[in-house]
Amino acid sequence: MKPDRNELQAEIRNRGLSMTVDEAERLHGIFGRMPSPLEFHLFDIMWSEHCSYKSSRKLLKKLPSRASQVVIGPGEDAGVVRFCNHGGTDFDIVVAHESHNHPSQVLPVEGAATGVGGIVRDVYCMGADVIGSLDLLRFGDPLGRFGERCRGIARGVVEGIWQYGNALGVPNLGGDTEFHPGYDDNCLVNVVALGIVRHDRVVHSYVPAEARHEPYVFILTGKPTDDTGFGGATFASADLDGELGMKSVQVADPFLKRILAQANRDVLDYLFEEGVAFGFKDLGAGGIACVTSEMAAHGGLGIHVNLDDVPVSIPGLPPEVAACSETQERFGLAVPERVAEGVLAIYNGKYELPRLFPGARAAVIGHFTQEPVYRVTHCGTQAACAPAEAITEGVFYDRPHEAGEVPIPDPVDMPCSPGKDIPEMLLSIGGCSRGAVWSYYDSEVRGATVLRPGEADSCVILPVPGCPAGLAVSGDGNPWYGELDPYQGGAHAVAEAVRNVVSVGAVPICATDCLNYGSPESPAVMHQFHRGIEGIADACRHLGFVEPGEPLPIVSGNVSFYNQSSSGRSIPPSPIVAVFGRIDDCSNAVDMVLKKPGNVIVLLGPRHPEFGGSLYYRKVVGHAGGRVPLFRGPLEAEMARWVIKKVRSGEVRGSHDISIGGLALAAAEMVLASNGPGIVLETGADPVQLYSETPGYLLEMDPSCGGSLPEYARVVGRVTSDGRLSGSGWSVDIQDMRERWADLLASIVWREEGV
Amino acid sequence: MKPRVAVVRFPGSNCEYETARALDACGLQGVIFNWNELSGAAGSGSSAWVLPGGFSFQDRVRAGAVAARERIMDVVYGDAVSGKPVLGICNGAQILVESGLVPGWRPGAVEASLSGNLAPGRTGYLSRWIFVRAVPEGVDRCPWLADAGEEPIPLPIAHAEGRFVFRSADEQQALEMSVLRYCSPEGAPASDWPLNPNGSSFAAAGVMNPRGNVLAMMPHPERALNIHHVPPNLPGPWGEVRRNRGPVSEPGPGASFFRGLARYLEVQ
Repeated sequence: MKPDRNELQAEIRNRGLSMTVDEAERLHGIFGRMPSPLEFHLFDIMWSEHCSYKSSRKLLKKLPSRASQVVIGPGEDAGVVRFCNHGGTDFDIVVAHESHNHPSQVLPVEGAATGVGGIVRDVYCMGADVIGSLDLLRFGDPLGRFGERCRGIARGVVEGIWQYGNALGVPNLGGDTEFHPGYDDNCLVNVVALGIVRHDRVVHSYVPAEARHEPYVFILTGKPTDDTGFGGATFASADLDGELGMKSVQVADPFLKRILAQANRDVLDYLFEEGVAFGFKDLGAGGIACVTSEMAAHGGLGIHVNLDDVPVSIPGLPPEVAACSETQERFGLAVPERVAEGVLAIYNGKYELPRLFPGARAAVIGHFTQEPVYRVTHCGTQAACAPAEAITEGVFYDRPHEAGEVPIPDPVDMPCSPGKDIPEMLLSIGGCSRGAVWSYYDSEVRGATVLRPGEADSCVILPVPGCPAGLAVSGDGNPWYGELDPYQGGAHAVAEAVRNVVSVGAVPICATDCLNYGSPESPAVMHQFHRGIEGIADACRHLGFVEPGEPLPIVSGNVSFYNQSSSGRSIPPSPIVAVFGRIDDCSNAVDMVLKKPGNVIVLLGPRHPEFGGSLYYRKVVGHAGGRVPLFRGPLEAEMARWVIKKVRSGEVRGSHDISIGGLALAAAEMVLASNGPGIVLETGADPVQLYSETPGYLLEMDPSCGGSLPEYARVVGRVTSDGRLSGSGWSVDIQDMRERWADLLASIVWREEGV
Repeated sequence: MKPRVAVVRFPGSNCEYETARALDACGLQGVIFNWNELSGAAGSGSSAWVLPGGFSFQDRVRAGAVAARERIMDVVYGDAVSGKPVLGICNGAQILVESGLVPGWRPGAVEASLSGNLAPGRTGYLSRWIFVRAVPEGVDRCPWLADAGEEPIPLPIAHAEGRFVFRSADEQQALEMSVLRYCSPEGAPASDWPLNPNGSSFAAAGVMNPRGNVLAMMPHPERALNIHHVPPNLPGPWGEVRRNRGPVSEPGPGASFFRGLARYLEVQ
């Protein structure tokens, strides 16, 4: 029976669905009848870009995800990678990376808070303790045409992050913050969470095979279900529309999450002691409907969910709202029926959920079934009934792609007066300190932080108490490169994050990515997306350091499309990559603080005239085009190996990678990070040497190192005690600028003082 | 057998693990008890109590106000009045103030507050390293300061409400109880921002009770337990050690607070 397309169109409109009429027709075909309201909403979510990766899944296969150290790659809630052995026990790290862009644009505080709340759940539900988070933030121009709104969003996002993360007790390990007018209408809030878990206690997010032999139930725990976030996944997958969006933003509660995390820990201990197989999954996009159908389908079973058993804070919710709302702070467990009482007692008794939060409790709301059917009942009647695998199958599209416009060539005139240029770049929104942002974040809770944001190129923590192995993390992505060359934008996102991790002496072991782009329905955007993925994949293939011939694996990630203004203007292509590294003995970790006058400054990586997207072009020349720095894979890998070796042998005393602002700003930042020392370079007023953003490193080393340098390295200066950055014929009093450099962002964004 | 120290986890506490570890590292045995494990905590044979940092009860009403009225605080209160050492760190300090144990001129009466940070052009949470110095009376009378010496101690703070405020009528005795004070890296008294990071009266970072056994402090000593916790660009001798030696896992500036207790309990 062929459905009436007009009738389907009316259903889509009346229910506020985002699926196309073709998709609705396909859905009608699956059921052989008009789907119920809950069925419509469930498939609308599962077939959304956010959940199904329908425009990107085929392309994502190009990203390398396999390597010896990988335990679980992309596919579950978070990636799992082998980390260390301590006292005979193997430990893995757990990493996840997501975006919460649209909600943060509409309601910055709540949107960003929920972003943190959502990503930590993905790590918790692998059985891990969350040990850190990072935020990769992209805001519009705070001094531009929409400056007032952009500043408000930046303040709100930072507030949401600190209110949630600090209360939850997860140390903030930095990340980065960039400003670009391309984000005026659509900010980016990418969040990364990392955790640690015993290798033998990694938990999966589906009902285990044992459920074929004994009765298993589904336990829902946490906040009582309400109508918040109804339509959230769909919202994340459509054009930004303020009115509609506001209702789709979820409400986060770090207090409840902290108690739940502790209770979960006890529950997992109990289940391991009982020796039962179980599944554990967080409730995110699509709420109860998605978590129950996915847990069942991925375990090859069915489930019968009774919505009457769901603890709610608002009575009388329609079935599609109760099942699909995205109420925060909830988890789901698939456990044998015989241990259910024991689990409920921990949540409701030992941890007193009902007393601590009105209406909060754990309850059995479903039974897994041998018949692979997804069935939901509500008030005694059937609200949904579908073949389980049909729900998770998803839809796919091959979107057309086509190269866009060609960027503007380089300018002819290249002025260079370092005494003037360097202060101008340092005291710009692109070059000033991000300390104002970090000052709100608790980076030290858990008592395991060794290097905080701003002290080195990456943050370093000690994940396992008593074990000397350190974990270094950094996240990067340069919108100015992505805009001019989407391929190089992808490659450099990986390469810079790798350099930041290497710079402290850590060996990169895995990466995560979040691919933020405009509409996949635009062939020009799809071209950017293709090129970005190719850039990331190529860089990963070059930058594997664990086993010879193996890539740096991308073990988790997310795609965020439809980042554009209501007028249809897309954001700059923004692939953002986080890299995680291990340093076997953390007491060797190197920061960027200058240690001793008389030491030499060694430059790794010869400079090239490639200024596209550079801070120099933007601030000094006033040019928006040009050729961006090339990703040079073999050299990048060779430099990294040399740095790791020299840090391990104790020969590197200070380190900083070269990125935004080139060698000059890298050196200036080392002086700014120190209390007193300066740097004198041998370089004259040469823009290529000073401002080119060709990747590389600056290392502080003992003067005796000179004889053993590889061909891509040379001594370019030495550490002084005068707090200045000088060169041949020029000198800048860096100490004198410290306060303004440190305070600029706070004065513009928080105190609204302009420039 | 190492002396036991009970660490209380309230709903929303988030520093209990590292606090227990810090006690363990300093010759003590930290044991974590949940807020509702009354009989377990009371009968644990603990020699002292620590209320760790966090956001107990979501800072409902005021930071620390709800936790101060939990039943387990009756047990803590009884032990405090009988002279057992009690330390409150950050949110733990807020709970001690809200329960009337600090400053504790009339135990049980709330006589001070930990109010919102006062800093020019800035509100909300602040995380940074500061310097504090113990005053001699505190070193003499407070077990937690027994090993603090006279030199400036660098510690991290992380709070939005850390400003000690007293009634003007109580000023003289409040000054006497303010035994841990913010100072410059060289040890000079801190009057204003940024050395006094929250506008606290008398630059108080920590306030004790008249008997000296209870200390409420806003900085986090458990986050400064080792050299590896110290920021590499910190001025002063601890920064110098950190720069020269690298981030090694040897005792850092915060260890003295727990060592002080261990020493005190040894003598007892």
